[in-house]
Amino acid sequence: MTTSEAPARGHAAAVVDEVQRARAARTPLRIVGAGTWLHGGRPVHADHRLDLRDLAGAGVLHYEPGDLTLTVRAATTFGEIDRLLRAEGQWLPLDPPGGADGTIGATIATASAGPLASAFGTPREQVLGVEIVNGCGEVIRAGGRVVKNVAGFDLTRLMTGAWGTLGAITEVSVRLRARPATETTVAVAASAAEAWRWISASEFAPYAAELLNPTLARALGVGDRSTLLLRLGGNESLVRAALSSVAALAEPHPVDAAVWTRLSERDAPDTAVIRLSSRPSRLSPIWERVSTTLERVGGEAHATPRRGVVRCTIPVDSTGDEAFARLRGIINALRVDATMVAERLPAPLWRSLVPGAASDALSRGLRGVFDPDRLLNPGIFGELP
Amino acid sequence: MNELIESLRAIVGDKRVLVRAGELRTYESDGLPGYQKRPALAVFPGTRDEVIAVVRLLADRNVPFVPRGAGTGLSGGALADDVVLLGLHRLKGILSIDADDGRAVVEPGVVNSSLGRAAAAFGLSFAPDPSSQTACTIGGNVAENAGGPHCLKYGVTLNHVLAITALLPGGEIVQLGNPEGESDGYDLLGAFIGSEGCFGVALDVTVLLTKNPQAVRTLLADFSSVDAAAHAVSAVIAAGIVPAAMEMMDAATVQVVEASIYAAGYPTDAAAILLIELDGAAAGLDDDAARVAAFCRAAGARGVRSATDPEERARLWQGRKKAFGAMGRISPALVVQDAVVPRTKLPAVLAEIHRIAERHDVHICNVFHAGDGNLHPNIGYDPTNPAEAARVHAAMSEVMHACIDAGGTITGEHGVGLDKMPYMDALFTPATLRAMCEVREVFDPGRRANPGKVVPVHACREWHGVPSTWRSA
Repeated sequence: MTTSEAPARGHAAAVVDEVQRARAARTPLRIVGAGTWLHGGRPVHADHRLDLRDLAGAGVLHYEPGDLTLTVRAATTFGEIDRLLRAEGQWLPLDPPGGADGTIGATIATASAGPLASAFGTPREQVLGVEIVNGCGEVIRAGGRVVKNVAGFDLTRLMTGAWGTLGAITEVSVRLRARPATETTVAVAASAAEAWRWISASEFAPYAAELLNPTLARALGVGDRSTLLLRLGGNESLVRAALSSVAALAEPHPVDAAVWTRLSERDAPDTAVIRLSSRPSRLSPIWERVSTTLERVGGEAHATPRRGVVRCTIPVDSTGDEAFARLRGIINALRVDATMVAERLPAPLWRSLVPGAASDALSRGLRGVFDPDRLLNPGIFGELP
Repeated sequence: MNELIESLRAIVGDKRVLVRAGELRTYESDGLPGYQKRPALAVFPGTRDEVIAVVRLLADRNVPFVPRGAGTGLSGGALADDVVLLGLHRLKGILSIDADDGRAVVEPGVVNSSLGRAAAAFGLSFAPDPSSQTACTIGGNVAENAGGPHCLKYGVTLNHVLAITALLPGGEIVQLGNPEGESDGYDLLGAFIGSEGCFGVALDVTVLLTKNPQAVRTLLADFSSVDAAAHAVSAVIAAGIVPAAMEMMDAATVQVVEASIYAAGYPTDAAAILLIELDGAAAGLDDDAARVAAFCRAAGARGVRSATDPEERARLWQGRKKAFGAMGRISPALVVQDAVVPRTKLPAVLAEIHRIAERHDVHICNVFHAGDGNLHPNIGYDPTNPAEAARVHAAMSEVMHACIDAGGTITGEHGVGLDKMPYMDALFTPATLRAMCEVREVFDPGRRANPGKVVPVHACREWHGVPSTWRSA
């Protein structure tokens, strides 16, 4: 067991001081963890940073392998967490875009998920509790360290995906899994319709089943057509049976598991990233449209059919009104009949494409409870300064 | 008050408004006897439009109300003095089932097992399976974020609800979650689930349905010590096997079940039994079952039995699911707790519970979801004997504090209601409790929905708006 005791005032103390100072001076704050995702989300109207790594530090607070739970400071990276868990034959099945340098706090704050969400869900399914410092500089500890908990109103879910606007996350507890006896990754050529038919009829619940468009499949070296990348785990009989079931689609090719890391680390800086979603059974026409359009402009796309989500990466090779108008045209053509969430856009495009989130009366009320002066990441949901 | 009754009758019909004390008695308590509160009247709308009209009328008159489904809750949650009790069990419509995407849209009064039967026609099921599932409603499952034995593998209600059309206490209708894709912004759906009727009522719920597993293996292992059973549980989990369910019953529980009409054939001389279920693809399932059996034997199991047909499986489960019922038959009253502790703390906490029982001279039965550390210690007693009742409540309070001290929580699936409120201060800081109060006020500025539940009043900002005098108006 690893437990490091928090100092007397808790490791959130420095964050509290900083937020209280900012509040007195009415200084808006940009919350920063590892700083790897600052290009994500809408533009934030804040000149000052609340640097969680500096103020609250990183590291493990509580790890008892037999409990399959882990409590860490928010700026702890996936790389650090993976090293710790690997030694105990365990893992945290969260693989958001970004890779090993990304922090658990940012992942919870943005509710970011990757291919493993197909089987294990998004951060809301895995986070057990959080400590936050709200916009008044108060420490709030929501949830707990146990895997089932309905004590009180669910502030943990509210903080997950709030992009820091209800509080800066300083500590996170998550549930873990034991690693399976066997794990294997294969690639198989499949259209969206074929992939969905197999996934929805299959008795096997792959850890990940991610559809790649031809551009991305080629870039990852796993095929030159629409390709289904499967991550299968369990005991040997189960994995063997799953592989022979996949063969009904097309010949599966073994792929090094490192492909998943390469996929999560792929985002180039000069791109726009959007996610389109729908009911899973209606994904196929969206995927075909995305594939055709992105093939033309050299964009990449991958989809999690089980969740009905397609993630599109579109090159932005030039700036200026004309280039932005072209990009807006591409995105508006892609989003027909789908729900769209944007991860990264050139700053001028946010307002016209995805003007705002959390603008309903309940959300505005909640912001008022936790951050009445709108000091934390103001603008990240599209609200005006 | 008479004018309110007439207005309610005009909406739902004369027979659907109850006002006489005798008629209201059923609604004075829930599944946890020991709490009795008397509503001023009860109203039972039969359609969505009637629910909306009733809630808007209550908002207009500033009247507090308590939403209620089947009344099977175990926290003293769906009851209060001097309120309008809003019964939703007549809204039984399964509005649609989409087998391709594995989802259904249902009204709040649909009984959990009725949805299960409707889904079964498509080879699907609704995963949350509280022991009261033959009576409890989906609206109640949402209010309590209900779990059940199989949530070890499949998760709780939160993990199986895609969207809710909610009617806020003020009468506004809001869409929470997005059935057509991802949501941006705050997880209002997540906040609503488990809000115990304090944030409003669900008009319809879009639930996820889970494909039925290709195969199921149910094992019964019996042990000569509770410790040995707890070690078997840890060994299975550590090996990376995720059983669908892993339930433990101690000797006291087994003996009560076996002496009842729910007798399941459990060995009555065992110190503890484990009911373990594995499901999924047929391939590899027998390998996992063999490993689980080996872990049980290595931990000291005297025997491991496998259910060979669906009837035997159903019988083994009936004993578990009716355990509280069996206990209720031998005692006039029953307290049931719902604490969760870190799994590695199970043996120590169970030993502490045993010591507490001896110290207070009470008989505690333990039946619980061992895989996720969710304990249900319960004590049968005679509430007309004040000395006994006092000993029982003192013992339960100590049990709860022992679970909190072990790093656990006070409720895993039953909710806070009235019953767990005394422990909220031990679990949460004043700032956290105040935040909960304020979140409630965002949904219900008048604090009229299920007043006096979940968060102790002293933790909230001072507030004078509770309309305690509405009845004389």
